[in-house]
Amino acid sequence: MNDQTMTPEERAANLKGMGSSRKRVEDVRFTQGKGNYVDDIKLDGMLFGAFVRSPYAHARVVSVNKEAALAVPGVVAVLTAEDLAPLGLHWMPTLAGDKQMVLADGKVLFQGQEVAYVVAENRYIAADAAELVEVEYEELPVLTDPFEALKSDVVLREDLAGQTEGAHGPRKHHNHIFTWEQGDKEATEAVLGEADVVAEEMVYYHRTHPCPLETCGCVASMDKVTGKLTLYGTFQAPHAIRTVVSLISGLAEHNIRVISPDIGGGFGNKVGAYAGYVCSVVASIVTGQPVKWVENRMENLMSTAFARDYWMQGKIAATKDGKITGLWCHTTADHGGFDACADPTKFPAGFMNICTGSYDIPTAYLAVDGVYTNKAPGGVAYRCSFRVTEAAYFIERMIEVLAIKLNMDAAELRRINFIKADQFPYQSALGWEYDSGDYHTAWDKALKAVDYEGLRAEQAQRIEDFKAGKTRKLLGIGLTHFTEIVGAGPVKNCDILGLGMFDSCEIRIHPTGSAIARLGTISQGQGHATTFAQIIASEIGLPADDITLEEGDTDTAPYGLGTYGSRSTPVAGAATAMAARKIRAKAQMIAAYLLEVHDDDVEWDVDRFSVKGAPERFKTMKEIAFAAYNQAIPGLEPGLEAVSYYDPPNMTYPFGAYICVMEIDVDTGEWDVRQFYALDDCGTRINPMIIEGQVHGGVTEALAIAMGQEIAYDEMGNVKTGTLMDFFLPTAWETPNYTTDHTVTPSPHHPIGAKGVGESPNVGGVPAFSNAVHDAFRPFGLVQSHMPHDHWRIWKIANGLGMHG
Amino acid sequence: MELSDEVRIAAPRDVVYQALNNPEILQECIPGCEELIQNSPEELEAKVVLKIGPVKARFAGAVTLDNSNAPDGFSLSGEGKGGAAGFAKGGADVTLTEDGDETVLAYTAKVDVGGKIAQLGSRLIAGTAKKLSGKFFTRFGEVVSEQPVT
Repeated sequence: MNDQTMTPEERAANLKGMGSSRKRVEDVRFTQGKGNYVDDIKLDGMLFGAFVRSPYAHARVVSVNKEAALAVPGVVAVLTAEDLAPLGLHWMPTLAGDKQMVLADGKVLFQGQEVAYVVAENRYIAADAAELVEVEYEELPVLTDPFEALKSDVVLREDLAGQTEGAHGPRKHHNHIFTWEQGDKEATEAVLGEADVVAEEMVYYHRTHPCPLETCGCVASMDKVTGKLTLYGTFQAPHAIRTVVSLISGLAEHNIRVISPDIGGGFGNKVGAYAGYVCSVVASIVTGQPVKWVENRMENLMSTAFARDYWMQGKIAATKDGKITGLWCHTTADHGGFDACADPTKFPAGFMNICTGSYDIPTAYLAVDGVYTNKAPGGVAYRCSFRVTEAAYFIERMIEVLAIKLNMDAAELRRINFIKADQFPYQSALGWEYDSGDYHTAWDKALKAVDYEGLRAEQAQRIEDFKAGKTRKLLGIGLTHFTEIVGAGPVKNCDILGLGMFDSCEIRIHPTGSAIARLGTISQGQGHATTFAQIIASEIGLPADDITLEEGDTDTAPYGLGTYGSRSTPVAGAATAMAARKIRAKAQMIAAYLLEVHDDDVEWDVDRFSVKGAPERFKTMKEIAFAAYNQAIPGLEPGLEAVSYYDPPNMTYPFGAYICVMEIDVDTGEWDVRQFYALDDCGTRINPMIIEGQVHGGVTEALAIAMGQEIAYDEMGNVKTGTLMDFFLPTAWETPNYTTDHTVTPSPHHPIGAKGVGESPNVGGVPAFSNAVHDAFRPFGLVQSHMPHDHWRIWKIANGLGMHG
Repeated sequence: MELSDEVRIAAPRDVVYQALNNPEILQECIPGCEELIQNSPEELEAKVVLKIGPVKARFAGAVTLDNSNAPDGFSLSGEGKGGAAGFAKGGADVTLTEDGDETVLAYTAKVDVGGKIAQLGSRLIAGTAKKLSGKFFTRFGEVVSEQPVT
């Protein structure tokens, strides 16, 4: 490489910085089977834990007999709530301000609840012995319907008896958790009363589960000599876990080291604190040996955090020519037996108040009631920012319902209601300040790309053919324009358990001009090691290939709140850019000293500082890095490193336009996605290849959710979809082709203008698929039908509309 | 889950009825039955090893009989607990109709299952129940037709 003859563009390309579709550096180990996941960790003398779980959804625990289990050779201990009670660890705090049983304390509230924890020399003995623990239950009435639960005399949470005040205000009933209200109720009701048209509908977003390929697990290792606890685990927020473990165990925080190794997908499932972690830590402290716990697939699906389960009653008001004047929403939120939602403290229903979507709706009101039922706790953001996919599904269904009421084209209805580009920053009626957007440009580009007019003409012909008996297949065109709200968030209003939701990056430049960066986040497949190195490469002019990235070890990484809610790029990505800029500022002083000019007389040029007006006089970052370690520079400390803790001034608001074209067989209910077009605007694009991969993965998860995936319960509270035989996880067979596209509207407040993208495809994908199903049946009278749209349910729609003759 | 079926047994109704109330015969005929104790004319206790799909467990159960309609039929209800595997509870109505030297036994049963068998085995339960009842009646028919008439 000849630095003097290469053009600035060539030098920039060599860095593989922002905008480069750099190959993922992580994949070298993943594609060779050399990843290091929790279950790969093997420590000397390691014991294994297994849970005894309740077969009942609601029952009193009369007795637990451990004798037969303890008699099994190799069994070390059997823990019950009684054993944990003296330590005060039989209950633990949840992220939502509630508390949750670690092991059943007198009763169980959901099927699969942890009752006892068996510790044994290997996982086979632990599993066998768990079956020998005899638990006597006394069945109690089961409540699986949140509306029933709010009327029932049956008290689910006896521990809260008489408490009329919860973590988020007054409780109206013994099975009620909170009411959360946003917007102007009176004004909205007035608008509804005066409107030309009001469309009303119940929109249900069913209970589902993130179902990461790797289930949750941990290895707790207490060193009784040093007094130090090392906790390896599938943690999406390792630093927060360290603080939580310290707070609930009483161990000093400096004596706890939390390590998140490679994680095989999180999608929100690995944000919370689970009984397995607490029991493993206790077991390791008691035995002095490391203890591993890894849940199996059934345990994962039935006990660790679910997602959604929102019943959203909506009313949308408009003028007769389609201008929306008001939106009203009342949500009944089924939280299960404990309120363990992973939301920022001040947002018990997450960012559900983004439910005005991409539209300029002057008046709106939202109320959410959280309810206890006999289902597993959770309510995590499954590949979405907190409750944003619920909000997006709600508004995108309400728009379609309104279009039916107005007898209008749903694309046109969206267009006339979009927030206009010149209205940003836009204040929404429910309290958000949208940072930037250009919805009309994205929408027109999307409609043109799929030939929307042509599709509608084809659909009209198809309807004629169907009525003439020439075909039994319908054509559905599913439209969605979504607005996300990600990057939680500003410390002034976003915290979890009191921990502000900033994030961090520390960068150390080595003398030879390579670097290591450590972040408070943790990749679970997002490719942080690839993309964050690209941000640094562009900011400080060292090749991305020369930058190592490390996350997930709380002893070495700076404190941060972790990876979920598409917050890594908006928050930690900003911290990365800011830390890099601190380094560049010091590098400028070093360069000026070496070039014997004033600091202000050098300027940045891709990978070097050069003297203004004399570009042939320069010092590259590599030279500057070496100088930082071998020159005594007056007024400057040796070394070249920086750390930044970034508190974002606002959320970021990525958006997109998705269109799904679906063929539906009315006789079998089978669907076939003929075309799926996804336009994403995530602001500045760091690595287009990774963005495309994120969109493919997210749309596939959206397909799963919309078209079949659910956690279903029967009336006894049995989980009916507890294995992958019944829980739909798409394979290559069911996954259609996707066309990806983009516009770029940078975030004005983010240092590099990036907004985050990992979750947009799930937020936009679910309504696109669902709207396609609805659109196919719209000419035959369908207004609203609940997801998931599996073949059976689609067949029922056709049957209910009298289409089977 | 509801089950109903009708089987023809080559024995007179009284013989069939008595056999159905004979713990030794029942134990011999119920697939996987390890123990059957009659505590009173109306109360039975049983231990049965069952395999439904991938779940194999020993169920301990109590059965209550209602003989008030004998020998035209009887009703029973019960509950079985299989520990980690889950539980089952339900009841059945059985009618016995004479048809010459033979007896037609008809039953309708309603069974609820919970726990792991409900999750893992739900799609297998109906088939398994049919198979088990088939086995029972095949064996029962053989045993009863060998019984002397008393």
